[in-house]
Amino acid sequence: MLFALLKKDFLIVKKYVLIMLVVIALIPPVMRWRTPEFTGVFGFILSVIFGVFMLLQYVSLKEYQFPKAATLLCATPFSRKAIVSSKYIFCMAIYAICCIVFELETLFMPGLGTSDTKLFAFMFLIVSVFIGIYLPIQYKFGYEKTKFAFGVIIMASPFILPLFMRAGSLNLNFLSMFSPYLVYGGIVLIGFAILAISASLSIKIYDKADLA
Amino acid sequence: MNDILTVSGLNKSYVDFSLKDVTFSLPEGCITGFIGVNGAGKTTTLRTLLGLTNKLSGKIQFFGLDMDKNEREIKDRIGIVLDGGGFYEELSLSEMKGIISSAYTSWSEQDFKRYMDMFSLDPKQKINSLSKGMRMKYALALALSHNAELLIMDEPTSGLDPLVRGQLLKILTEYMENGGKGVFFSTHITSDLDKIADMLIMIDNGRIVFREEKDTLLDTYRIVKGDSGALTPDTRKLFLSISETDFGFTGITKQISEVRSYIPNIMVERPTIEDIMLGNIGGEK
Repeated sequence: MLFALLKKDFLIVKKYVLIMLVVIALIPPVMRWRTPEFTGVFGFILSVIFGVFMLLQYVSLKEYQFPKAATLLCATPFSRKAIVSSKYIFCMAIYAICCIVFELETLFMPGLGTSDTKLFAFMFLIVSVFIGIYLPIQYKFGYEKTKFAFGVIIMASPFILPLFMRAGSLNLNFLSMFSPYLVYGGIVLIGFAILAISASLSIKIYDKADLA
Repeated sequence: MNDILTVSGLNKSYVDFSLKDVTFSLPEGCITGFIGVNGAGKTTTLRTLLGLTNKLSGKIQFFGLDMDKNEREIKDRIGIVLDGGGFYEELSLSEMKGIISSAYTSWSEQDFKRYMDMFSLDPKQKINSLSKGMRMKYALALALSHNAELLIMDEPTSGLDPLVRGQLLKILTEYMENGGKGVFFSTHITSDLDKIADMLIMIDNGRIVFREEKDTLLDTYRIVKGDSGALTPDTRKLFLSISETDFGFTGITKQISEVRSYIPNIMVERPTIEDIMLGNIGGEK
C-alpha cells in the first residue's frame, strides 16, 4: 500500500520529476563554475534543497488543487497513517536520488570533489529536520498558508548556506574519538528519530482533519 | 433480513450545522435512497459514516462490524462514488485505477475492463477530458471492480442528463441482481428513486425525518386539493403542509380518512417522493 501511495506522489508530479532531475544534476557543476570555493558540498546541499522541497511542494500543490482525491483515497482501505507516511518516504526517496546523482557526478567529474558518508549523513539530518518541522505544519495549516514559509526556505537557502558552511567548520574534533560508523550511524539514527516523531505528529493532525 | 448498516446516535457539529442523533439502518438486499434538500446533511452523514469527518458521538456498524475497530476491512467491502469523482484530474484513467486498485484485496482487473468496455471508456484518456456523465461511469467502474458488497454514492445523478441517469439506474439494478447486498445513495433528484428505490431515508436540518419502505410511504401520504374556505384551524392540523392560492389549497396529509370526513369535497391524488419530501420539510398551514 505504501508503495502504491509513493507511486501516486510521483505520478501526480510526473511533469516535474524529469525537470527536477535535470536541475538536481546541473546544480553541482554550475556551482563549480560560478562559486568554485563551494564546489561539491555546497552544490549538493542546494540540489537536495531544490529537489526535495520543490517536488514536495509540487505534490502539495496537486493535493491542494484536487482536494477530493485525498478524500477518495481515505474512503478506500488506504489508511490516513499510510497516506501521511508515504509523504515522508517520498521526501526520503528524492533525497536518495539526489545522493545517487551526486555520487555519479563525482565519479565522472573529479573537479566536483568527493562524496562521502559524512556529507550524506549530515545532509540527511538537515533534510530530516526541515521535513520534520515543515510537514506537520503543512498538515495543520494547509498548503495555502505554508507555501510562503517554503518560499522563504528556497529563496534564503543560497544566502544561509554559506553561514551553515562556516558553522560546519566548528570544532567537532571530539567526534574523532568515536568510530566514524558510530558517528554517522548515530546522525542517521537521529534523523530517522526526528522523521518518526514528526510523522506521528502529522498522522495525529491528519487523523483529526475533516476532509473536503 | 440482516442490516448491512446500522447507525445509532450519530452526532457531528460544525459552526453552522450539526447532525443530531442520526439513527437508521439499511436492510440487506435493498436500494436505499437518502433524500433531503441541499444542506440537509446528506453528504455530512455519508462522510461521517465513512470516517472522512470525525464524529462527535455515535455508533456505526457495517456488516455487523464496528467501524471504529474494523475500518480497513469494512472499506475493503464497500464501493464508493463521491460527488464529482474525487480524482487527480491530470492522471489518465489507467493511472488513477492503478492507485485505487492497490487499496483493495479483491480487485478484479477483469471486472474493471468489462465496465470500461461497457461504458466505452479509454484507459489512456485523461480524467479532466471526461464529461460529467463519463466521469460518473468511471467512478462506478472503480467502485464495482472489487466485489463490493455495499455501494455508497453521494449525489451520483446530480448534473447528469436523463439518458445517463437511466443507464446508472440500470447498472445499480444489475449490481443488486448480481449479488450486491445493498446500495445507499444520496440524491435530491427524487424521480430517480421512484424508479428503483426499495427504501427511503429522509434527512432535514441534520435530523432523520423518516425511514420507510418506498411503497409504504407512497401509500401513507396523499395530496389533497380543495376549496380554501373549507380549511379551519382544526382541519389544517391534519396536513403536513398546505399551499394556498386564489383557486384553492393543495395540502399533503398522512390522515386521509379524517380529512375526507371533515372536508367532503376534495380531490385526492397519490403523491410523488418529491411531494412527500417537500411536505415533510413543511410549508404554510
